Amino acid sequence: MNLPDYNFISVPLWLLSSLHILTLTLHFAAMNFVFGGIVVILLGRINDRWNNPAVQKLIKLFPTAMAATVTLGVAPLLFVQMVFPKQIYSASIVSGWFWLAIFGVAMLAYYFLYGAAFTKKLGRQALYLILAFVGLVYISFIYSATFALTENPGLIKMLYAAGQSGLIINPDVGSYLFRWIHMILGAITVGAFFVGWIGRDNEEVLKAGKVFYLWGMVSAMVLGFVYLFTFGDFMLPFMRSPGIWWMTASLILSLGSLYFFFKQKFLFSGTMLFVSLLGMIATRHYARLVHLADYYRPEELTVKPEWGVFFIFLVSFLVMLAVIWYMLHLFFKRPAK
Amino acid sequence: MNYPFWDIEIGYGLLMASIAIIHVFVSHFAIGGGLYLVVAEWMAVKKNDSQMLDYLQRMTKFFVLVTVVFGALTGVGIWFIIGLLNPAATEALIHHFVWAWAIEWTYFGIEIAAAILYFYGWKRMSSRDHQTIGWIYFGAAWMSLFVINGIVTFMLTPGEWLLTGVFWDGFFNPTFWSSLVLRTGVCVMLAGLFAQVVASRYGPSDFKGRIVRYNSGWALAGLAIVVPAFIWYISQIPSDITDTAREMMRLPMNSIGVSYWYAAAIGILLVIFGFLIPRRMNLLFASVMMLFGLAWFGSYEWFRESVRKPYVIQGYMYGNATEVANEEKYREEGYLPQMGYRTGDDGADLFRRACRSCHTIDGYHPLKPAYNGTETEFIAGTIRGAHVIKGNMPPFMGIEAEIQKLAEYIYVRMDSRSIAEIHSLYGKELGQKVYDLRCGKCHEFGGFNDKAESLVGLEDEDYHDLLDMAGDLAEEMPPFTGDTAEREALIEYLRSIPEGGN
Repeated sequence: MNLPDYNFISVPLWLLSSLHILTLTLHFAAMNFVFGGIVVILLGRINDRWNNPAVQKLIKLFPTAMAATVTLGVAPLLFVQMVFPKQIYSASIVSGWFWLAIFGVAMLAYYFLYGAAFTKKLGRQALYLILAFVGLVYISFIYSATFALTENPGLIKMLYAAGQSGLIINPDVGSYLFRWIHMILGAITVGAFFVGWIGRDNEEVLKAGKVFYLWGMVSAMVLGFVYLFTFGDFMLPFMRSPGIWWMTASLILSLGSLYFFFKQKFLFSGTMLFVSLLGMIATRHYARLVHLADYYRPEELTVKPEWGVFFIFLVSFLVMLAVIWYMLHLFFKRPAK
Repeated sequence: MNYPFWDIEIGYGLLMASIAIIHVFVSHFAIGGGLYLVVAEWMAVKKNDSQMLDYLQRMTKFFVLVTVVFGALTGVGIWFIIGLLNPAATEALIHHFVWAWAIEWTYFGIEIAAAILYFYGWKRMSSRDHQTIGWIYFGAAWMSLFVINGIVTFMLTPGEWLLTGVFWDGFFNPTFWSSLVLRTGVCVMLAGLFAQVVASRYGPSDFKGRIVRYNSGWALAGLAIVVPAFIWYISQIPSDITDTAREMMRLPMNSIGVSYWYAAAIGILLVIFGFLIPRRMNLLFASVMMLFGLAWFGSYEWFRESVRKPYVIQGYMYGNATEVANEEKYREEGYLPQMGYRTGDDGADLFRRACRSCHTIDGYHPLKPAYNGTETEFIAGTIRGAHVIKGNMPPFMGIEAEIQKLAEYIYVRMDSRSIAEIHSLYGKELGQKVYDLRCGKCHEFGGFNDKAESLVGLEDEDYHDLLDMAGDLAEEMPPFTGDTAEREALIEYLRSIPEGGN
């Protein structure tokens, strides 16, 4: 019986990859706000921080940002599974329990953020934020370890032969430790931008944002280069890929964003930061392709376009943006009734 | 077979259900609850009912905390778990329906944003704008159901898609509309039942009586949609699917009947405590009604999942991820060469691929009770005939050498003592046990594939002949490999069966 085959993609690869990179950037922006924001609030030099109105404003925004993180995380996961299903599912099965725990931990972190936003006892906010932060650290680590594993199919086979119960975390720590720390520092940097921007009228909060933005960016860049040097044999192919151009552009944009941030030109700074983040994610995309080149080339996937339903998605996507804009307009247009 | 296999002691079905059932409860409540809130707000504003508005505001907090956090993240949890439990089916579904999921994501985005703005908007927005957001929430949430319903129903009734492969044939499949109406009814019913739990916390008052009556009206309206829609839904499932299920799996089909009792119980309780003595509604009664509602919905979901067996996508992919399209390849080359991930233990790899999705050795749906005291030859015979055994299992499509390897792998993990010794039985009782283990999986007296008629008038000698040639009676039938004591006991038991088997 000739049954429909599923080994195909329904739009050209460049389009699917672009959607993945765009939606992942949106997801990272929201997630970094929460992650980095918590770090700046907890560690920044802010006197009597729990009574600082800007800090309270940020804490009240975290649950909404977490909702955005979760919602915006669905689409990139969908698109990346479309292009790299075998790598992603295989790596996640090897670490099955740790992978599955992500959603439970994310739920707890989410409730802790609500706890911090709703509690009347300000002293408890620190505890809730620390607990949420620990959850987010766990998620980021497992993501880094698992996605690094997707790039090493040989290792997946070896690990699977050694144990099938999903209790293995990628043991090739060298392949992702620096990447993970780089991403943590990057998240703190982006979070610091949001803290500085949202708390721009509060001198202490703005200053804390600046400090973390500057040092976060410097250290993220250093760790990023260290991570690059762990590429070994993949360094040369990566240097020949478009990834190097994205990386260079992102570095320049990051520095530009830093300059405008200190000038308090938040629109310029934020735009540059967003494009820089997008560039870093594109860089990561090319690094993945380089690592997988011996095993898998997505450009060889069969393309069977389904433009009709894709067009409906595109319209729905635009409708989503328009409706959310409209609802925000309604929400902010009038004072309390 | 391109994936590793997540080998865990917890049953796959149980793990999936523990996340999915919670999610479907919450996600349907999220849709119906959205409609409930905005309609109630509209009426309360119209009547200038501040008590009602206060109640709705309280309910919104509960609603947002449950739906936006718990509902959304258990939805993500389903993504994670299906990728771990059946990556091949997930891959197939994603490739065929990626844009449906992407469209659903856009509505999900609107839904989440609207829920948050509705919650925070109570105190700062005009009632008209606030209600607009409420309606947007409900519209987006229902559209999200519309899209996901297409994929969920596709898995049971892919219809013409199996021939055409066209997206719309799969999406608007035979059970799409009936399921959509049914699920919409469930949303309304659950909204009324959840709201009843919130209302039950109020002390006896006119206001309580009013909202309990109002909530009961919602739940009954939902029920009025659900029951006929369920009948319609079942009628839309191709009869070959329901006939096979009726024949091979009594429990899920019986659950249909049970679900009507649940519906009746909800209806009666709603009339009594919702309309006749609404002020007496308390947390206990509200919770009982709620549990009946969830039990009804759970039995429906269980029916839908079970009746799909042995497939995960009807006619396309079996529950153990073997693909119908590859049957020829499996039969010629076997399973092992197709496996992308091997452990070096072929028996274990075959067990995982062929059986482990639904069975463990001695945990969830265990094999021990079925095979303890039996022999490799018998086990191999049942593997060959797996697809005709009661319970609707996928066929084993591997080669003969693999059947032997798999049978040996299972055999060494079983109790090798005789059935008589394991169960301390003799005589007719031993015979009944032997029948249950060696024959009853395919032939049930008064039930599945009953062969009682063919035993009428047989003498001892005939029974011996029958057992001697058991393996030749049908390709799927294992030989009788029990010892003399089992044979004698089995014959004694069979001779005690009244004519006709009852």
